Amino acid sequence: MITFNRAGKRFGTLDAVKDFSLEIQDREILGLLGPNGAGKTTLMLMMGTVYRPTSGAISVDGLDVVRHPNDVRKLIGIAFQDPRVDGILGAFDVLNWHLKMTTGLNKEERTERVEQVLRAVDLWDARKKRTWLMSGGMRKKVEDCKVLAQRPKIAVFDEPTAFLDVPSRLLMWKMIRELREEGSTVIVATNMMDEAERLSDRVAIVNLGKLVATDSPERLKGTTKGGEVLELIVGDGQAFPRELLAQFSEVRDVTQVENKVTVYLSSGRLLLPKIVETLTNKGVKIDSVHLKEVALEDVFLSYTGQRLE
Amino acid sequence: MSFSATQVKDSNSLPGGDSTSRLVLQMARRDISTLFRTPWIIISRSLAFIVQLFVFAYLISGFVVKFPNYFEYYAVGSVVGTIASISFIIGYDIFEEAEEGLLDYLLTLPISRRQFIIGRALGGAVRAMIYTIPMFVIVAVLEKFSNPLSLAFAVFDLFLLAFGVTGLSITMAVSVRSANRFDVTLALLELAVSRASTALYPLAFMPGYVAAFAPYSPVTFAADSARDVLEGTGLNLLGIAGLLAFVAIFLGLGATFYFRRLEGGVYA
Repeated sequence: MITFNRAGKRFGTLDAVKDFSLEIQDREILGLLGPNGAGKTTLMLMMGTVYRPTSGAISVDGLDVVRHPNDVRKLIGIAFQDPRVDGILGAFDVLNWHLKMTTGLNKEERTERVEQVLRAVDLWDARKKRTWLMSGGMRKKVEDCKVLAQRPKIAVFDEPTAFLDVPSRLLMWKMIRELREEGSTVIVATNMMDEAERLSDRVAIVNLGKLVATDSPERLKGTTKGGEVLELIVGDGQAFPRELLAQFSEVRDVTQVENKVTVYLSSGRLLLPKIVETLTNKGVKIDSVHLKEVALEDVFLSYTGQRLE
Repeated sequence: MSFSATQVKDSNSLPGGDSTSRLVLQMARRDISTLFRTPWIIISRSLAFIVQLFVFAYLISGFVVKFPNYFEYYAVGSVVGTIASISFIIGYDIFEEAEEGLLDYLLTLPISRRQFIIGRALGGAVRAMIYTIPMFVIVAVLEKFSNPLSLAFAVFDLFLLAFGVTGLSITMAVSVRSANRFDVTLALLELAVSRASTALYPLAFMPGYVAAFAPYSPVTFAADSARDVLEGTGLNLLGIAGLLAFVAIFLGLGATFYFRRLEGGVYA
């Protein structure tokens, strides 16, 4: 189990992570969801002993990351958001060296393991190509493959499918799930809603260095403010009169980002005509209306007041 | 793709007693292997060294009338100076890795900070030795240095110098955060250590303000010690002691002290 106990990290005057508490169970896939700069990478680097927490404590399998950093490092494999691969080496050599450093595998076992993952991600034919000559997507695959080949007890992926095309993303998700099935605890930091939703057993929403919500994607959606979402696009520059919707008891919350208004409500189908009529009577120009079930994106918006784009 | 059931055990079985030295050696091999990926650098530098020796050194030694056999003095000293310069490169490598984020990755690997720095220093030193050995051989052939024991001691001197300089260079690389400040600091250090030394000119011919510092330069320790042993004067114990102290300070104490603070992740 991984435990963050009121962990914090301060860089100068900036609190990158503040008062962060979370427990991650063994063999769980946890999606760490947050916008860029939310503190996801800092959390992972603190857990990986690269950054020392400035407050609180973090333990991995009962080992404190500050007091037992080397033991903690033996348990963790991190695939970084931006590929951290030696540009002058080919994919095979990058992975082989990583396994030399992180596993006790012999040469044959390493070769077999590297070939297995490189073939799976369709990079075997390009295994000798220097990584600095590879496309962003290929380099990202090599980065992810480091952890996939290592099969650590705790696998951390930072934006694992950034730069990848759709088939590659699906494949990577499948491989990450298989990693969990083999016994790894997986942490996936992402700012992609569908990735968090489709991959994670549980999602932790992080914003401004703080944990704002955590639960399974379904439960987060199910418990969020009514269960339905009405999206209105209103005229540019128009102040939206939220108070007009206060008369409807089914309306739980209203947020506005530029000209997009999101209304969290229940009984949306019944309420929709009344809301539109009330607003148009008061001179609100409505360009479009869309009623839908709550998505993880809406959950995120309701907790953080901002969209992930 | 399907994984075998050996997962997780691999990582847990990693940290044995012998795996500690294995990881240090792997870290060192990583730096050494970078040299062989660009062999043309060794070849071109060796050719430049030959030209320098046969044109510049011969020319200058003709002008220097106060110092007999200056060519031999210069030849040995230039090898020592070269190895010091090459050993500084590891610091630039590490600083570049920090800028590119590669150092973050290396710091997540299951190797202690102390092992990390020893491995990097060892790799940098061996790399500098490999790089300089062809030049050393040229000088040995030219000056007819043939006593195996003397040659071995001279190589030992060079290695100690390289090991200490890599420690110094790495310590600077992980201490200075600004790229400009790092470049300037390392360039000045390299200049001070190499030029304020007896590598290329004897103490008696130096201006006073250089002569005051030169006896304490690690390059002086290595150059004097290598010359003494190659010329058959005997072991220069003061030089060897100076080199050992240099290694202990900058590899043993300086870097270890820094990385003890780093252990647990103060690096940010």
